[in-house]
Amino acid sequence: MEEEEAGVRRWLVDVAHWRPSPAQFDAVVALLPSHERPAIARFVREDDRKRALVSRLLHYSLVHHVLRIPFRQINICRTPEGKPYLQKNGSALPNFNFNTSHQGDYVGIASEPFCLVGLDIASVSKPQGETASEFISNFSSYLTHHEWNYIVRAGTPSQVLTEFYRYWCLKEAFVKAIGAGVGFGLQRIEFHHEQWTNISIHIDGGVSNKWRFWLFKLDEMHLASIAKGHPEDAVSSYKKTLSNATVAEEQLHSALESPEEAFTLWTVEQLTQLLELME
Amino acid sequence: MAATMSAISAKAAGGYRTAPALVSWKGSRAQGRSLISMAAAPRSLRLVSLRTPRFRVYAAKAETVNKVMEIVKQQLALGAEAAAAVTPESKFTDLGADSLDTVEIVMALEEEFNITVEEDNAQNITTIQEAADLIDKLVA
Repeated sequence: MEEEEAGVRRWLVDVAHWRPSPAQFDAVVALLPSHERPAIARFVREDDRKRALVSRLLHYSLVHHVLRIPFRQINICRTPEGKPYLQKNGSALPNFNFNTSHQGDYVGIASEPFCLVGLDIASVSKPQGETASEFISNFSSYLTHHEWNYIVRAGTPSQVLTEFYRYWCLKEAFVKAIGAGVGFGLQRIEFHHEQWTNISIHIDGGVSNKWRFWLFKLDEMHLASIAKGHPEDAVSSYKKTLSNATVAEEQLHSALESPEEAFTLWTVEQLTQLLELME
Repeated sequence: MAATMSAISAKAAGGYRTAPALVSWKGSRAQGRSLISMAAAPRSLRLVSLRTPRFRVYAAKAETVNKVMEIVKQQLALGAEAAAAVTPESKFTDLGADSLDTVEIVMALEEEFNITVEEDNAQNITTIQEAADLIDKLVA
Protein backbone atom coordinates (compact mmCIF):
# COMPACT_ATOMS: atom_id res chain seq x y z
CA MET A 1 0.00 0.00 0.00
CA GLU A 2 1.25 3.48 -0.85
CA GLU A 3 2.39 5.85 1.83
CA GLU A 4 -0.63 7.85 2.88
CA GLU A 5 -0.74 11.17 4.65
CA ALA A 6 -1.65 10.54 8.28
CA GLY A 7 -5.37 10.10 8.58
CA VAL A 8 -6.21 10.59 4.89
CA ARG A 9 -8.04 7.64 3.32
CA ARG A 10 -10.22 7.07 0.28
CA TRP A 11 -11.58 3.51 0.28
CA LEU A 12 -14.08 1.90 -2.02
CA VAL A 13 -15.86 -1.45 -2.03
CA ASP A 14 -17.62 -2.88 -5.06
CA VAL A 15 -20.53 -4.59 -3.35
CA ALA A 16 -21.97 -5.92 -6.59
CA HIS A 17 -19.17 -8.46 -6.51
CA TRP A 18 -19.95 -9.57 -2.98
CA ARG A 19 -22.73 -12.12 -2.98
CA PRO A 20 -22.75 -13.66 0.49
CA SER A 21 -24.95 -16.52 1.56
CA PRO A 22 -27.23 -15.65 4.50
CA ALA A 23 -24.74 -17.39 6.81
CA GLN A 24 -21.81 -15.45 5.40
CA PHE A 25 -23.76 -12.21 5.72
CA ASP A 26 -24.60 -12.95 9.35
CA ALA A 27 -20.97 -13.82 10.07
CA VAL A 28 -19.90 -10.35 8.97
CA VAL A 29 -22.70 -8.71 10.96
CA ALA A 30 -21.45 -10.62 14.00
CA LEU A 31 -18.07 -8.88 13.72
CA LEU A 32 -19.67 -5.52 14.44
CA PRO A 33 -20.94 -4.21 17.81
CA SER A 34 -24.43 -5.50 18.51
CA HIS A 35 -26.03 -2.03 18.53
CA GLU A 36 -25.30 -1.80 14.81
CA ARG A 37 -27.44 -4.84 13.97
CA PRO A 38 -30.93 -3.28 14.12
CA ALA A 39 -29.66 -0.46 11.94
CA ILE A 40 -28.75 -2.99 9.26
CA ALA A 41 -31.74 -5.32 9.69
CA ARG A 42 -34.35 -2.60 9.32
CA PHE A 43 -33.69 -2.24 5.61
CA VAL A 44 -36.31 -4.11 3.67
CA ARG A 45 -34.23 -4.80 0.57
CA GLU A 46 -31.31 -7.21 0.65
CA ASP A 47 -29.13 -4.86 -1.39
CA ASP A 48 -29.77 -2.06 1.07
CA ARG A 49 -28.88 -4.34 4.00
CA LYS A 50 -25.68 -5.28 2.20
CA ARG A 51 -24.73 -1.65 1.62
CA ALA A 52 -25.59 -0.72 5.21
CA LEU A 53 -23.41 -3.56 6.50
CA VAL A 54 -20.43 -2.70 4.31
CA SER A 55 -20.82 0.96 5.23
CA ARG A 56 -20.45 0.11 8.91
CA LEU A 57 -17.69 -2.36 8.20
CA LEU A 58 -15.79 0.48 6.57
CA HIS A 59 -16.32 2.71 9.61
CA TYR A 60 -14.73 0.25 12.02
CA SER A 61 -11.98 -1.10 9.81
CA LEU A 62 -10.87 2.39 8.76
CA VAL A 63 -10.81 3.75 12.30
CA HIS A 64 -8.76 0.78 13.43
CA HIS A 65 -6.44 0.96 10.43
CA VAL A 66 -5.76 4.68 10.85
CA LEU A 67 -5.90 5.25 14.60
CA ARG A 68 -4.88 1.78 15.81
CA ILE A 69 -7.70 1.77 18.36
CA PRO A 70 -8.52 -1.80 19.47
CA PHE A 71 -11.72 -2.85 17.77
CA ARG A 72 -13.74 -3.38 20.93
CA GLN A 73 -12.90 0.15 22.05
CA ILE A 74 -14.12 1.84 18.89
CA ASN A 75 -17.27 3.75 19.74
CA ILE A 76 -19.04 5.22 16.74
CA CYS A 77 -22.04 7.38 17.52
CA ARG A 78 -24.34 9.61 15.51
CA THR A 79 -25.37 13.22 15.91
CA PRO A 80 -29.10 14.03 16.01
CA GLU A 81 -28.86 14.66 12.27
CA GLY A 82 -27.46 11.15 11.76
CA LYS A 83 -23.81 12.00 11.14
CA PRO A 84 -21.47 9.24 12.39
CA TYR A 85 -18.45 10.28 14.43
CA LEU A 86 -15.86 8.66 16.65
CA GLN A 87 -16.46 9.19 20.31
CA LYS A 88 -13.61 9.55 22.80
CA ASN A 89 -11.08 10.15 20.11
CA GLY A 90 -7.96 10.29 22.24
CA SER A 91 -5.70 9.98 19.25
CA ALA A 92 -3.07 12.32 17.89
CA LEU A 93 -5.61 13.38 15.26
CA PRO A 94 -8.26 15.19 17.31
CA ASN A 95 -10.23 16.40 14.30
CA PHE A 96 -10.18 13.00 12.62
CA ASN A 97 -13.48 12.65 10.80
CA PHE A 98 -14.89 10.39 8.12
CA ASN A 99 -17.87 10.04 5.85
CA THR A 100 -19.36 7.07 4.02
CA SER A 101 -21.64 6.90 1.04
CA HIS A 102 -23.33 4.08 -0.80
CA GLN A 103 -25.17 3.97 -4.07
CA GLY A 104 -25.58 1.34 -6.73
CA ASP A 105 -22.60 -0.99 -6.80
CA TYR A 106 -20.33 0.98 -4.49
CA VAL A 107 -19.83 1.80 -0.86
CA GLY A 108 -17.06 4.24 -0.05
CA ILE A 109 -15.44 6.00 2.88
CA ALA A 110 -13.25 9.07 3.11
CA SER A 111 -11.34 10.34 6.15
CA GLU A 112 -9.31 13.43 6.99
CA PRO A 113 -7.27 14.47 10.05
CA PHE A 114 -7.85 18.26 10.00
CA CYS A 115 -10.48 19.36 7.46
CA LEU A 116 -14.02 18.19 7.33
CA VAL A 117 -14.58 15.64 4.61
CA GLY A 118 -17.72 14.62 2.80
CA LEU A 119 -18.19 11.87 0.24
CA ASP A 120 -21.10 11.16 -2.04
CA ILE A 121 -21.46 8.42 -4.61
CA ALA A 122 -24.10 8.73 -7.30
CA SER A 123 -25.40 6.11 -9.63
CA VAL A 124 -26.14 7.79 -12.95
CA SER A 125 -29.20 5.71 -13.61
CA LYS A 126 -31.80 6.47 -16.26
CA PRO A 127 -35.05 7.47 -14.60
CA GLN A 128 -37.86 4.98 -14.97
CA GLY A 129 -41.06 6.05 -16.65
CA GLU A 130 -39.95 9.62 -17.33
CA THR A 131 -37.48 11.48 -19.50
CA ALA A 132 -34.24 12.95 -18.17
CA SER A 133 -35.79 16.43 -18.39
CA GLU A 134 -38.88 15.39 -16.47
CA PHE A 135 -36.76 13.69 -13.86
CA ILE A 136 -34.40 16.59 -13.18
CA SER A 137 -37.22 19.14 -13.12
CA ASN A 138 -38.35 17.49 -9.87
CA PHE A 139 -35.23 18.94 -8.29
CA SER A 140 -35.11 22.35 -9.93
CA SER A 141 -35.82 24.17 -6.67
CA TYR A 142 -32.64 22.69 -5.18
CA LEU A 143 -30.41 24.07 -7.92
CA THR A 144 -29.53 27.68 -8.64
CA HIS A 145 -30.17 29.36 -12.00
CA HIS A 146 -26.46 29.31 -12.68
CA GLU A 147 -26.27 25.54 -12.19
CA TRP A 148 -29.52 24.87 -13.99
CA ASN A 149 -28.22 26.66 -17.09
CA TYR A 150 -25.21 24.39 -17.23
CA ILE A 151 -27.36 21.30 -16.79
CA VAL A 152 -29.95 22.01 -19.46
CA ARG A 153 -27.25 22.98 -21.96
CA ALA A 154 -25.19 19.85 -21.37
CA GLY A 155 -26.29 18.15 -24.58
CA THR A 156 -28.04 14.82 -25.00
CA PRO A 157 -30.49 13.62 -22.35
CA SER A 158 -27.78 11.33 -21.05
CA GLN A 159 -25.32 14.22 -20.74
CA VAL A 160 -27.96 16.38 -19.09
CA LEU A 161 -28.61 13.62 -16.57
CA THR A 162 -24.90 13.20 -15.80
CA GLU A 163 -24.46 16.95 -15.40
CA PHE A 164 -27.37 17.03 -12.99
CA TYR A 165 -25.88 14.19 -10.94
CA ARG A 166 -22.55 15.99 -10.75
CA TYR A 167 -24.14 19.03 -9.13
CA TRP A 168 -26.32 16.91 -6.87
CA CYS A 169 -23.40 14.75 -5.81
CA LEU A 170 -21.31 17.82 -4.89
CA LYS A 171 -24.15 19.32 -2.89
CA GLU A 172 -24.60 16.10 -0.98
CA ALA A 173 -20.88 15.84 -0.23
CA PHE A 174 -20.86 19.35 1.23
CA VAL A 175 -23.98 18.87 3.35
CA LYS A 176 -22.63 15.57 4.65
CA ALA A 177 -19.21 17.08 5.41
CA ILE A 178 -20.70 19.76 7.66
CA GLY A 179 -23.04 17.25 9.33
CA ALA A 180 -26.27 18.98 8.32
CA GLY A 181 -29.48 16.96 8.14
CA VAL A 182 -32.16 16.69 5.48
CA GLY A 183 -33.35 20.23 6.12
CA PHE A 184 -30.34 21.96 4.64
CA GLY A 185 -31.41 24.22 1.78
CA LEU A 186 -29.45 22.87 -1.17
CA GLN A 187 -30.34 25.94 -3.21
CA ARG A 188 -28.20 28.01 -0.81
CA ILE A 189 -25.05 26.52 -2.31
CA GLU A 190 -23.81 27.00 -5.84
CA PHE A 191 -20.92 25.28 -7.55
CA HIS A 192 -18.54 26.91 -9.99
CA HIS A 193 -15.94 25.09 -12.02
CA GLU A 194 -13.74 25.05 -15.08
CA GLN A 195 -14.93 21.95 -16.89
CA TRP A 196 -15.22 20.24 -13.55
CA THR A 197 -11.77 21.15 -12.27
CA ASN A 198 -11.09 23.91 -9.76
CA ILE A 199 -14.52 23.34 -8.32
CA SER A 200 -15.50 25.98 -5.80
CA ILE A 201 -18.57 26.74 -3.73
CA HIS A 202 -20.66 29.85 -3.16
CA ILE A 203 -22.69 29.76 0.03
CA ASP A 204 -25.62 32.15 0.41
CA GLY A 205 -24.30 34.21 -2.46
CA GLY A 206 -20.71 34.56 -1.27
CA VAL A 207 -17.71 32.61 -2.51
CA SER A 208 -16.02 30.46 0.10
CA ASN A 209 -12.30 29.82 -0.21
CA LYS A 210 -12.31 27.37 2.69
CA TRP A 211 -13.66 24.49 0.67
CA ARG A 212 -12.36 22.34 -2.16
CA PHE A 213 -14.22 19.80 -4.24
CA TRP A 214 -13.36 16.97 -6.59
CA LEU A 215 -15.39 14.78 -8.87
CA PHE A 216 -14.44 11.25 -9.84
CA LYS A 217 -15.80 8.88 -12.40
CA LEU A 218 -15.79 5.46 -10.76
CA ASP A 219 -17.10 3.70 -13.85
CA GLU A 220 -19.61 4.28 -16.65
CA MET A 221 -22.51 4.34 -14.22
CA HIS A 222 -21.09 5.85 -11.05
CA LEU A 223 -19.50 9.09 -9.98
CA ALA A 224 -18.19 10.25 -6.63
CA SER A 225 -17.56 13.64 -5.11
CA ILE A 226 -15.24 14.69 -2.31
CA ALA A 227 -15.74 17.84 -0.28
CA LYS A 228 -12.98 19.11 2.02
CA GLY A 229 -13.35 22.17 4.16
CA HIS A 230 -12.85 24.24 7.26
CA PRO A 231 -14.12 22.72 10.52
CA GLU A 232 -15.63 26.10 11.46
CA ASP A 233 -18.39 25.38 8.93
CA ALA A 234 -19.56 22.25 10.73
CA VAL A 235 -23.10 22.51 12.11
CA SER A 236 -23.08 22.98 15.87
CA SER A 237 -24.18 19.45 16.80
CA TYR A 238 -21.33 18.04 14.75
CA LYS A 239 -18.76 20.66 15.69
CA LYS A 240 -19.10 19.57 19.32
CA THR A 241 -17.77 16.13 18.40
CA LEU A 242 -14.52 17.55 17.04
CA SER A 243 -11.97 18.01 19.75
CA ASN A 244 -10.13 20.80 18.10
CA ALA A 245 -12.23 22.84 15.73
CA THR A 246 -9.53 25.49 15.70
CA VAL A 247 -6.98 24.36 13.19
CA ALA A 248 -3.83 26.31 12.41
CA GLU A 249 -4.47 28.16 9.18
CA GLU A 250 -1.29 26.91 7.50
CA GLN A 251 -2.15 23.31 8.35
CA LEU A 252 -5.64 23.75 7.00
CA HIS A 253 -4.48 25.48 3.86
CA SER A 254 -1.95 22.79 3.02
CA ALA A 255 -4.54 20.10 3.77
CA LEU A 256 -7.01 21.77 1.42
CA GLU A 257 -4.44 22.21 -1.30
CA SER A 258 -3.07 18.68 -1.23
CA PRO A 259 -4.08 16.81 -4.36
CA GLU A 260 -6.73 14.15 -4.29
CA GLU A 261 -5.57 10.57 -4.59
CA ALA A 262 -7.49 7.86 -6.33
CA PHE A 263 -9.68 5.53 -4.29
CA THR A 264 -8.26 2.28 -3.00
CA LEU A 265 -10.45 -0.67 -3.83
CA TRP A 266 -11.06 -3.14 -1.01
CA THR A 267 -13.03 -6.35 -0.97
CA VAL A 268 -15.29 -7.31 1.92
CA GLU A 269 -13.02 -10.26 2.60
CA GLN A 270 -10.00 -7.98 3.02
CA LEU A 271 -11.91 -5.75 5.41
CA THR A 272 -13.12 -8.64 7.54
CA GLN A 273 -9.57 -10.00 7.66
CA LEU A 274 -8.49 -6.61 8.99
CA LEU A 275 -11.09 -6.83 11.75
CA GLU A 276 -10.30 -10.45 12.53
CA LEU A 277 -6.60 -9.67 12.85
CA MET A 278 -7.40 -7.23 15.59
CA GLU A 279 -8.80 -9.94 17.86
CA MET B 1 -76.48 -5.34 4.44
CA ALA B 2 -77.26 -4.06 7.91
CA ALA B 3 -74.55 -6.28 9.35
CA THR B 4 -71.98 -4.87 6.91
CA MET B 5 -73.02 -1.32 7.66
CA SER B 6 -72.70 -1.76 11.40
CA ALA B 7 -69.31 -3.42 11.01
CA ILE B 8 -68.08 -0.41 9.08
CA SER B 9 -69.71 2.02 11.48
CA ALA B 10 -68.18 0.26 14.44
CA LYS B 11 -64.75 0.76 12.90
CA ALA B 12 -65.55 4.37 12.12
CA ALA B 13 -66.56 4.94 15.69
CA GLY B 14 -63.13 3.87 16.77
CA GLY B 15 -61.47 6.42 14.56
CA TYR B 16 -63.78 9.37 14.66
CA ARG B 17 -65.30 11.78 17.09
CA THR B 18 -68.41 13.34 15.61
CA ALA B 19 -67.52 17.02 15.55
CA PRO B 20 -64.25 16.85 13.62
CA ALA B 21 -65.72 14.34 11.17
CA LEU B 22 -68.55 16.74 10.36
CA VAL B 23 -66.14 19.57 9.75
CA SER B 24 -64.10 17.50 7.32
CA TRP B 25 -67.00 16.50 5.09
CA LYS B 26 -67.27 18.32 1.83
CA GLY B 27 -70.57 19.20 0.20
CA SER B 28 -72.56 17.14 2.63
CA ARG B 29 -74.28 19.92 4.50
CA ALA B 30 -77.70 18.33 4.30
CA GLN B 31 -76.51 15.16 5.96
CA GLY B 32 -74.46 17.19 8.38
CA ARG B 33 -77.49 19.06 9.52
CA SER B 34 -79.48 15.93 10.10
CA LEU B 35 -76.64 14.44 12.12
CA ILE B 36 -76.24 17.55 14.24
CA SER B 37 -79.90 17.28 15.10
CA MET B 38 -79.25 13.76 16.25
CA ALA B 39 -76.22 14.66 18.37
CA ALA B 40 -78.14 13.98 21.52
CA ALA B 41 -79.19 10.53 20.38
CA PRO B 42 -77.47 7.39 21.68
CA ARG B 43 -74.33 6.58 19.78
CA SER B 44 -75.48 3.36 18.16
CA LEU B 45 -78.56 5.04 16.67
CA ARG B 46 -76.45 7.83 15.21
CA LEU B 47 -74.16 5.34 13.60
CA VAL B 48 -76.91 3.28 12.06
CA SER B 49 -78.32 6.38 10.39
CA LEU B 50 -74.97 7.37 8.95
CA ARG B 51 -75.11 8.15 5.29
CA THR B 52 -72.51 7.35 2.68
CA PRO B 53 -70.33 10.47 3.28
CA ARG B 54 -69.12 9.13 6.61
CA PHE B 55 -68.26 5.81 5.03
CA ARG B 56 -66.46 7.73 2.31
CA VAL B 57 -64.33 9.62 4.79
CA TYR B 58 -63.28 6.44 6.57
CA ALA B 59 -62.58 4.64 3.30
CA ALA B 60 -60.63 7.64 2.07
CA LYS B 61 -58.24 7.22 4.96
CA ALA B 62 -57.47 3.58 4.15
CA GLU B 63 -57.60 4.46 0.48
CA THR B 64 -55.09 7.25 1.02
CA VAL B 65 -52.71 4.93 2.81
CA ASN B 66 -52.99 2.35 0.06
CA LYS B 67 -52.46 4.92 -2.68
CA VAL B 68 -49.42 6.32 -0.90
CA MET B 69 -48.09 2.79 -0.54
CA GLU B 70 -48.52 2.16 -4.25
CA ILE B 71 -46.78 5.39 -5.18
CA VAL B 72 -43.89 4.65 -2.84
CA LYS B 73 -43.52 1.06 -4.04
CA GLN B 74 -43.51 2.27 -7.62
CA GLN B 75 -41.08 5.10 -6.98
CA LEU B 76 -38.65 2.79 -5.22
CA ALA B 77 -39.19 -0.04 -7.71
CA LEU B 78 -39.61 -2.56 -4.91
CA GLY B 79 -39.54 -6.21 -5.89
CA ALA B 80 -42.30 -8.56 -4.77
CA GLU B 81 -40.51 -9.66 -1.59
CA ALA B 82 -39.72 -6.12 -0.46
CA ALA B 83 -43.18 -4.87 -1.43
CA ALA B 84 -44.76 -7.52 0.79
CA ALA B 85 -42.83 -6.18 3.79
CA VAL B 86 -44.15 -2.63 3.41
CA THR B 87 -46.49 -1.43 6.16
CA PRO B 88 -47.95 2.03 6.82
CA GLU B 89 -45.29 2.46 9.49
CA SER B 90 -42.47 1.75 7.03
CA LYS B 91 -39.92 4.53 6.88
CA PHE B 92 -39.01 5.60 3.37
CA THR B 93 -35.32 5.26 4.18
CA ASP B 94 -35.85 1.70 5.39
CA LEU B 95 -37.41 0.94 2.01
CA GLY B 96 -34.21 2.15 0.39
CA ALA B 97 -35.14 5.75 -0.47
CA ASP B 98 -32.25 8.14 -0.89
CA SER B 99 -32.45 11.95 -0.94
CA LEU B 100 -33.54 11.99 -4.58
CA ASP B 101 -36.24 9.39 -3.95
CA THR B 102 -37.76 11.30 -1.04
CA VAL B 103 -38.08 14.45 -3.16
CA GLU B 104 -39.69 12.45 -5.96
CA ILE B 105 -42.08 10.70 -3.59
CA VAL B 106 -43.32 14.03 -2.27
CA MET B 107 -43.68 15.34 -5.83
CA ALA B 108 -45.60 12.25 -6.90
CA LEU B 109 -47.93 12.61 -3.92
CA GLU B 110 -48.49 16.29 -4.72
CA GLU B 111 -49.41 15.34 -8.27
CA GLU B 112 -51.63 12.41 -7.34
CA PHE B 113 -53.61 14.25 -4.67
CA ASN B 114 -53.39 17.72 -6.18
CA ILE B 115 -51.85 19.30 -3.09
CA THR B 116 -48.81 21.41 -2.26
CA VAL B 117 -46.56 20.21 0.50
CA GLU B 118 -44.59 22.93 2.30
CA GLU B 119 -40.90 22.23 2.70
CA ASP B 120 -40.99 21.90 6.48
CA ASN B 121 -43.91 19.50 6.19
CA ALA B 122 -42.05 17.52 3.54
CA GLN B 123 -39.15 16.96 5.94
CA ASN B 124 -41.53 15.58 8.57
CA ILE B 125 -42.95 12.96 6.25
CA THR B 126 -40.80 9.95 6.94
CA THR B 127 -43.34 7.11 6.79
CA ILE B 128 -46.27 6.11 4.60
CA GLN B 129 -48.71 6.78 7.42
CA GLU B 130 -47.31 10.28 8.01
CA ALA B 131 -47.70 11.04 4.31
CA ALA B 132 -51.29 9.76 4.28
CA ASP B 133 -52.14 11.76 7.40
CA LEU B 134 -50.78 14.96 5.90
CA ILE B 135 -52.59 14.33 2.63
CA ASP B 136 -55.91 13.76 4.33
CA LYS B 137 -55.40 16.94 6.33
CA LEU B 138 -54.61 18.94 3.20
CA VAL B 139 -57.41 17.41 1.14
CA ALA B 140 -60.09 17.85 3.80
